[in-house]
Amino acid sequence: MPGIDYLLAALTPLNILLALGGVIAGTVIGSLPGLTATMAVAVLVPITFSMEPTSALIMMGAIYTGAIYGGAYSAILLNTPGTPSAIATTFDGFPLARKGQGDLAITIACIASVTGGLVGATFLLLLAPPLAEIALAFGPVEYFWLAIFGLTLISALSEGNLLKGLIGACFGLLLACVGVAEISADVRFTFGSQVLVGGIETVTALIGLYCIPVLIDLVATPDRHLKVDHKPRGFRFLEALGLSWKAKFSLLRSSVIGTLVGILPGAGGSIAGLVAYTEARRTSKNSHNFGKGEPEGVMATESANNATVGGGFIPTLVLGIPGTPPDAVILGALLIQGIRTGPSLFTEKASIVFTFIYGLYLATFLMLPVGLVIGRYAYQTIITVPKALLVPTVAFMTMIGTYAIRNSISDVIIMIILGVIGWILNRYGFSPSPIVLGLILGSIAEQGFVQAWTIGKATGELGKMFFGRPISLAIIAFIFLSLFYPLIRSRFRRAEKEVPHVD
Amino acid sequence: MSINPPEQLQRDTASIGMACLFIFVGAIALWDTTTMLDSDSYVFPRAVAITMIIMSISLIIWHLVKPRRKLAEAGPAASTVRRLALVAAMLAGCLAMPWLGFLIPGIMTFFSLMFIGMYDEWSMKRKILYPLIAVAIVVGFYTLFGNLLQVPLPVGSFFE
Repeated sequence: MPGIDYLLAALTPLNILLALGGVIAGTVIGSLPGLTATMAVAVLVPITFSMEPTSALIMMGAIYTGAIYGGAYSAILLNTPGTPSAIATTFDGFPLARKGQGDLAITIACIASVTGGLVGATFLLLLAPPLAEIALAFGPVEYFWLAIFGLTLISALSEGNLLKGLIGACFGLLLACVGVAEISADVRFTFGSQVLVGGIETVTALIGLYCIPVLIDLVATPDRHLKVDHKPRGFRFLEALGLSWKAKFSLLRSSVIGTLVGILPGAGGSIAGLVAYTEARRTSKNSHNFGKGEPEGVMATESANNATVGGGFIPTLVLGIPGTPPDAVILGALLIQGIRTGPSLFTEKASIVFTFIYGLYLATFLMLPVGLVIGRYAYQTIITVPKALLVPTVAFMTMIGTYAIRNSISDVIIMIILGVIGWILNRYGFSPSPIVLGLILGSIAEQGFVQAWTIGKATGELGKMFFGRPISLAIIAFIFLSLFYPLIRSRFRRAEKEVPHVD
Repeated sequence: MSINPPEQLQRDTASIGMACLFIFVGAIALWDTTTMLDSDSYVFPRAVAITMIIMSISLIIWHLVKPRRKLAEAGPAASTVRRLALVAAMLAGCLAMPWLGFLIPGIMTFFSLMFIGMYDEWSMKRKILYPLIAVAIVVGFYTLFGNLLQVPLPVGSFFE
């Protein structure tokens, strides 16, 4: 294990200050709908150019960590994931907030994020080089099946109807095809409109499909947005810690899932959160309560998405392949600093890498007090602000946040239209989550599908290409399991009931 | 012993209608792929559109053959006018931005939405306080994005 010298190097007053500033900035930016972790890192990265490489890396890692956690605030309080990684946080976070437990949900999210961040950083510290090999084992077909796995998972989680979830996922995949095709550069599904040539931006759709329906319903009735408990209850830290301790195995498992998914370039926190959420629901004693405000659901998602930070750095630092979009920005910043990533980085530039990893620990620990304080403030603000100010503030934030993604007013209009479509679909049982995930995973799925299709056709082994590789087969097995697990489980239960018990 | 009233059941025609809509969307997508020249462009969307159509047909069959849903109980009265007004105000704000820039339509949209979302009485305190807060929020976000985050917010063709 790397020595204490690196730990001490990470704990200089300057690095502590930079990590603190990074976590605060990241948390605030990540909590605003429209501003993702990638944008948080990208916007603030120029500040780091004049710094020493170690300090720069620590600050970027802190911004990234904070932004991923910050996405939980709007997911819990507004039912709008601040970042795509927080999609599954809405499933139980918002129902908890509606029950008047928003403060508890935020504290649970904070503890889970810290746990996930620490597990991810530990994997990065101890197992980075061997784990990076996993990323290389995934070819285009595996990425295609992985994207399909993510979509089947979220469809199976859709309330009520699996078919509706799958239709929503297909609709999302079609939305991802709008604009110029990535592989052949054909213009698709624009129907002559210049506005659609640039495609539909993922975060634009995320804000529209999640936030606008909330606003439409919020403005329609005089009821309060969230149930208010007037008794001051503080951070509810011990209560949240107790709940987390009870679900410690779930928390750790979700963190490991997050780290492993984070290692796969492109998969990202959204899939990690979903896989961890599904696994937590499958194994939990309270599985019937998932989707209705189960604290374990929030823990699973938040620990997994923060674990992707450490997981994503593994292929970034060892192979030079960014695990997640913010990693790509950080990789660019490292190149500007003159640091060449690769397997030799851990030996030739050990002082920089290991000091950075300890800095990541530092940022994760700092997230606890920072997250609790900012979270409490966010909760108090949301429950006390009158509707006449809350509605326009959130609406204005969605507009300016969407505009900032590509500096495009057309994107804002697309966001509002998608929001109206999402509201209508939601009324008829089509959840927005599969649509958004279809849009997020569309490019990964299409690239994998088209590459595998082309190779398979050229070699005359199309079937073998899609169904003949061991990792693909394993993912396909998981896809079937996720689709038919409820059916299999109910059959087993029925069979158990039919067998007479003999004492 | 109490006797439960018979459950009011009906076929889920709304879901069937939505499934038909998705079949239509899938058909449009399939038709659009016929204009694409490169197979790399159309193979994936075609596969997705066909899957969506199959799923939608399955959903229709499911609702025709098997389940009937209980009629949903009426929820609290909700204002459709306010809902439409919210969407209209946001869209109007966006459409005005190329001419008036970001700040003025932003403030106008904020004020409109404040009126739409207002259910309490406009007391004197609120009449003074809310507009001040509205301007502070809009200008604050405008400064944050425009100056600090260097987002090139539209200036408006009237002011160029």
